[in-house]
Amino acid sequence: MEKKNVILSLYPTTKLLMILLIAVSVFIIPSYLYAYAMFLVCLVIAAMGNVTKEFANLTIKGLFSLCILIFVLQSFFYPGTHVLWEWGFLAIKQEGIHFGLTLTSKVIAVGSSLILFFRITPVKDFVYSLEVMGLSPKATYVVLSTLTIIPEMKKSSQVIMDAQKTRGVETEGSLMVRLKALLPMITPLVLSSVASTEERAMALEARAFTVNKRKTSIYSIEKTGRDSFIRVLLLVLLILLIVWRVAL
Amino acid sequence: MSYIELKGISYKYPVGDEKVLKDISLSLEKGKVYALIGANGAGKTTICNLIRGFIPHFFKGDLDGEMLIEGRDIREWEMGDLAQKMGYIFQNPFTQISGTKDTVFEEIAFGLENLRVEVPVIKERVAEIIKLFGLESLQEKNPQQLSGGQRQRVSLASIMVMDPEILIIDEPTSQLDPQATEEVFKIINIMKQRGKTIILVEHKIELIAEYADRVILVEDGKVAMKGKTKDILSDIKAMDHGILLPQYALLGYEMQKNDRLHEIPVTESEAIGVFTKWMAGKEN
Repeated sequence: MEKKNVILSLYPTTKLLMILLIAVSVFIIPSYLYAYAMFLVCLVIAAMGNVTKEFANLTIKGLFSLCILIFVLQSFFYPGTHVLWEWGFLAIKQEGIHFGLTLTSKVIAVGSSLILFFRITPVKDFVYSLEVMGLSPKATYVVLSTLTIIPEMKKSSQVIMDAQKTRGVETEGSLMVRLKALLPMITPLVLSSVASTEERAMALEARAFTVNKRKTSIYSIEKTGRDSFIRVLLLVLLILLIVWRVAL
Repeated sequence: MSYIELKGISYKYPVGDEKVLKDISLSLEKGKVYALIGANGAGKTTICNLIRGFIPHFFKGDLDGEMLIEGRDIREWEMGDLAQKMGYIFQNPFTQISGTKDTVFEEIAFGLENLRVEVPVIKERVAEIIKLFGLESLQEKNPQQLSGGQRQRVSLASIMVMDPEILIIDEPTSQLDPQATEEVFKIINIMKQRGKTIILVEHKIELIAEYADRVILVEDGKVAMKGKTKDILSDIKAMDHGILLPQYALLGYEMQKNDRLHEIPVTESEAIGVFTKWMAGKEN
């Protein structure tokens, strides 16, 4: 990842504050237009951080389809009196549309800001900043190792699946067949994961992980003057938003 | 005073009905390579766990007898001090990678970070170990993407960088191909030359003949035989305890049925010596 990038090179907690401001602001300013505009803001930040493609992919495929569903359901079933269109028991009401817009706008603003955060912040950096703030290394280990253990488990589940196939367990076909194949796969997967947990714990112990000293880290990221500037800017924006809200 | 001493040790794991170690007494000297041999389930790994202090600090269970490191009971040692004193390399190369580091360099540095060594010193020591182990081509790679043999070498380096006095190595090559096995043993040899006390569990008897100073044969939780490598591995009685002698020794015994050999060889170089002498005798 290009470190010189104006967005990517920010300190993780600065990015977090920025994202939090976006997410919180939609609850300060009630207008759904504002909340939808926040998606555009996220998009601009994503573009500045060179992650537009991944960001757009995730938000459009995940968030938007969810929001369309929410919107349709709300516009049909939200209680209201101003019926706009009717067909049998289905009726679109103005209140429903309004509520649907407000709700989906907030889901999109909060969701896309969170997605954005993890697109522009490597988990390693985020966890590092948390550790600097005093979070226990044990807690951060759990977060980081889980991320690597999941692909490992996926690999070993494939191995177990193949092993069961060679022994005649049917793993392909209808839903029922697949469900039946699940049990002979899950049991060895869980058991082997539990067994390797013990060895992992001992291997960590062999590397002095539980020694009760603060640790050093050869990996480091620093806050810069730009971080302080952005933080002040964010605070000013927050105050402006509150003032705007009160003035409205 | 012995460096490491086990006095009348018996042990039973918390789950399990039988004792896995029965009245074991051993005395290990500093700077020697000890090979623990014996069938699977004989108690070799349990002995390693005990010496490293995983028993009783990690595994509870019933422990009788005394286990002393430098004359001090294992129960009195702090786990952190034990981590610095003794390195432990496990059988499975896939569970020893911390799983939180992006590069082999950072992975090797992990132990030193935990010991709160200053960053410039860490960098210097890691670079030194990487050079010593010939891991330069791997240092920027992700540890998760290494092969079994590469991971095992990284695991060895990760422990060696912490510079422990004692190394416990539990079947390091059981999942490795011959070439990777050879590389691992080259490294073990380097550690031997650096004066480390090494406790090695291994099934490849030719390698033991080559590298170990002393052999401890464990059978059914008891010490069946112990002594100098040459004495044990050239002793046909070891076969009664489920150990296959090195091929050179077997060949020597075969030849002794018809002819007198002046000794039973256990390593390649000894075999060459013995058989050359034998042939010279024949010619005369």
